[in-house]
Amino acid sequence: MTAFVIAAIVMLVALVPAGVTLVRGELADSVVGYEFISTVIVMILALLAEGFGRPGLFEFPVILAVLLFGGGLVFVRALEGWL
Amino acid sequence: MIREVVTDALLALATLTVVLSSVGIAVMPGAAAKLHYVTPAAVVAPVLVTLAVFVREGLDSSTGMTVIALVFMVAVSPYLSHATLRAIRARPGERR
Repeated sequence: MTAFVIAAIVMLVALVPAGVTLVRGELADSVVGYEFISTVIVMILALLAEGFGRPGLFEFPVILAVLLFGGGLVFVRALEGWL
Repeated sequence: MIREVVTDALLALATLTVVLSSVGIAVMPGAAAKLHYVTPAAVVAPVLVTLAVFVREGLDSSTGMTVIALVFMVAVSPYLSHATLRAIRARPGERR
């Protein structure tokens, strides 16, 4: 198990406090928790791709990083106007 | 050997940044205060992870893809945080 995989596992565990905020917090807190978790997942995907030596899997963090902006703005727009 | 040590140190710093940010999000009161802890995880930690990949792999496709993801995250994160803060402040009754 390389340091990259260990770092990915620790980051996954570190998502728990933010996940609790997402589930149990107010609506605005949940949006902040969602943004944090989606940001960290981009790094976790990159770490796992490097840790397992699969360069082809680096496409996933790139795609998620691009979708991060659109997805975040959808939730922010919903928070601002519709909810 | 030295390359592995540098890689491990960079990954440890990135992980520490994410852990502390996550705790900050859970502990701080109010969404606006929590939002401050998204930025280190969205800007500092990806830079450290990208550096770790670069130190291990050198200039290759893995590093290039990581840099592309990093550029997107660093470019997008401030706009997203700004939009989120505007939405939070637009909501009546939200803690600020």
